[in-house]
Amino acid sequence: MNGDAFRIRHIDLEATDADADTNGTASLSIFWWKDLPLGMKASLPDELPYTRARLRQFAAEFSAAQLAARSTSLGAPLRATYEGWPKSALSLTAALGAKGLIDRLDELATASYASAQDISVVICTRDRGPALAECLRSVARQRSAPGEVIIVDNSRDGNARRVCAQFPEVRYVHEARPGLSVARTAGVHASRRAIIAFTDDDVEVHAGWTAEIARAFAERDVEALTGLVLPARLDTLAQRRFQFDMGGFGSTFVPLVFDRRFFEETRPNGAHVWKIGAGANMAFRRSVFARVGLFDERLGAGAAGCSEDSELWYRLLAAGGACLYEPRAVVFHHHRSDWPGLRRQMRAYMKGHVAALVVQYDNFGDRGNIVRIWKQLPAYFLRTFLRALFEGPPGRIRILAAEVEGWLAGLQFLLRFGWRKRRALRPQILVEERAG
Amino acid sequence: MGYRLVEIELSKPLAPIELAPQHDGVGLIGRWQDRLVGFEMIALPASSVLSAERLRALADERFSGRILIAKVEEELLRQRRFAVEPPLPSLSIAICTKDRAKRLSRLLASLDLIRWKSAFQSVEIVVVDNASVDSATREAVGGFKDVRYVFESKAGLDFARNAALGAATGNLIAYLDDDVVVDRNWLVGLAKACRDHPGAGGFTGLVLPFRLDTEAQIIFEQRGGFGRGFVHNEFHNNRFDNPLHPVGSGILGAGCNMAFDRALLLELGGFDEALDTGAPLPGGGDLDIFYRVLRSGRPMIYEPEYAVYHEHRETIEQLRRQYWTWGLGMMAFLVKSRRTDQALHARHRAMVRWWFFDQLKALVRAARRFRGRDLGFGVAELWGGIYGLAGEYDRSRARVQAIREQNQ
Repeated sequence: MNGDAFRIRHIDLEATDADADTNGTASLSIFWWKDLPLGMKASLPDELPYTRARLRQFAAEFSAAQLAARSTSLGAPLRATYEGWPKSALSLTAALGAKGLIDRLDELATASYASAQDISVVICTRDRGPALAECLRSVARQRSAPGEVIIVDNSRDGNARRVCAQFPEVRYVHEARPGLSVARTAGVHASRRAIIAFTDDDVEVHAGWTAEIARAFAERDVEALTGLVLPARLDTLAQRRFQFDMGGFGSTFVPLVFDRRFFEETRPNGAHVWKIGAGANMAFRRSVFARVGLFDERLGAGAAGCSEDSELWYRLLAAGGACLYEPRAVVFHHHRSDWPGLRRQMRAYMKGHVAALVVQYDNFGDRGNIVRIWKQLPAYFLRTFLRALFEGPPGRIRILAAEVEGWLAGLQFLLRFGWRKRRALRPQILVEERAG
Repeated sequence: MGYRLVEIELSKPLAPIELAPQHDGVGLIGRWQDRLVGFEMIALPASSVLSAERLRALADERFSGRILIAKVEEELLRQRRFAVEPPLPSLSIAICTKDRAKRLSRLLASLDLIRWKSAFQSVEIVVVDNASVDSATREAVGGFKDVRYVFESKAGLDFARNAALGAATGNLIAYLDDDVVVDRNWLVGLAKACRDHPGAGGFTGLVLPFRLDTEAQIIFEQRGGFGRGFVHNEFHNNRFDNPLHPVGSGILGAGCNMAFDRALLLELGGFDEALDTGAPLPGGGDLDIFYRVLRSGRPMIYEPEYAVYHEHRETIEQLRRQYWTWGLGMMAFLVKSRRTDQALHARHRAMVRWWFFDQLKALVRAARRFRGRDLGFGVAELWGGIYGLAGEYDRSRARVQAIREQNQ
């Protein structure tokens, strides 16, 4: 199984013009222009090493996409389409008039050294000591040190305390009530800075992570931010299936704005807020929690499954707010390495997704959430089933079975009226008190 | 009925395009600084005008992205980043033709405009007359300077291609069908691809419509034609994003515009003469040679600037037959390569399954939208596939053997 492991390579197209690597293993190549992530490409040994012409083509295509998404004269900022992809606003006139493109790219690629003192980093963890230690080491290597780092230990016996002791700058909070939403809420309560950045214990963050978050909030008038989540390893089949067949945590390398219009466009089918990003790499201004409330404790790992992050974005977008996806903020996620783990995860994702749709329906009365449960998801299952049957890839049907299980398990929430009545608390006062 | 084909240079101010009464649409070939960047078909009322504003809106959406990419690429090259500049080989251009002197002259004329100023070490043109019934082909060749004429008495496109392979002297051999005309940058595009990929086993290029005068030609182009897009591509023995690759070698390009390292073709034994045999089995030969080149371990390159214009089938009946031959040729190729390439057995089987699934999907789509004609094309291709699967390759081999014996 590990014979087909994919290596993850980082190629800086600004510094190299030839792929000297003749290692002969399949690779996921992540392309950069200095500190700017440009794009990625998976290739088999037969396709490697890349020729110079191939690298030039990647450099040209990826750079053009960056320039169009980041230069106001070329149509930036870009809004997300229904699919959650960038829609180019480039005009012929702008394209013809563009000059000094590589210089401009160099400017865009300058690393941020913005102070991150305004940022509280909140990491929720549960029974994952070694992974957490890796995560904290990556946080300690930040180019701009965050204002504070808070570990919310969601384990029963507080077993992360020992790990945290090795990192003197970390504040340790124990939250024994299980559930990721509960833990994140505890993190918000414990935090004291104006911006709260979340990541997970199975993640390693890029050295520029906090500095890029700080820059994005300083330059752009947004309340919420998500970033790029890249795979940390693709050693096992389960990891590759998650990354390549299930799309991992997204593969967009240009900044996007998810705003009211995106919300309205996708609303007939349940507002596709999960396309905004991932909880493993997200940040909020504190004011968001005061305005739309905290994470819904019925959702998230340890409760209904997941989607506590996207349900909060739903409330934010419904209230007219916007979320910026800024791929310069990079983290590396360790996908589940074993097959049962992947199946459990996909089951939990779907179950949590359905639960979030029910919650969103109850909160706002949008029928689209119900349409998503009864029409869009079954149609997706059928399509995926037929495609997997004729076109593969092998194993996709087993993942699909887990998704269908999760969907069925999620349907129970429609009937659990007591559960549905437990609306999310709106602990504004609490947040404001602590903020002062 | 007919579409007016118009070429526009996007770096110059856009002018409105006027349609004659016989035109009900525009086929727009977009260039930026002479470089092909896109092709669009726009249906319009007869005698109307495609305004400059509408052109601009179309260019914003369809062409501007590729222009920006081309500009970045030029800047990279100007800074000499990612540049590759080995010397170019000598080139033989091989044209296989049968009883189509007029079209042959048209193609030779288009080549005559470009062959004298190319970057290749040398350029020779070899015309293989594939058992034409009269001397018109020979006379047509006589009208051009420095074109070699070879007669091949065994009728069949791949007999002719192999004859060209033997007669040619260049390191690189570029095949053209007689129903195409080359773009003015055809040689420039091929030279660029060669320089960038000195180790490549072969090259394919863009195929645009030569004219869109009949309903069949318009429909064919709207259904995808031979177009493989405006993005440069590389193909190897395996492909991450397609587990069936290289069995579905049709995505590489088309036989009317392809070039190979001549030594490699000789080593591979040339084209399979039981494919592309004219009327009974007029396809599959290009799929087969692409497949064998990739299986030899050498990459193939798709280069959009290496472009030709193809004269599509004129009538609906001919078009239906073309779809039938696609199915037939595809299955004959699959049967053959399944037999000769044990290692990829599973992929061949999966490809047959995928192909029929894909055809059925197209049929269902056509039926649901009440598109009788699409349904007809779909049935033709599917039926061709079934017929091809049912022993067509062996029948063809028997026929080809008979031709060989007759001509001994």
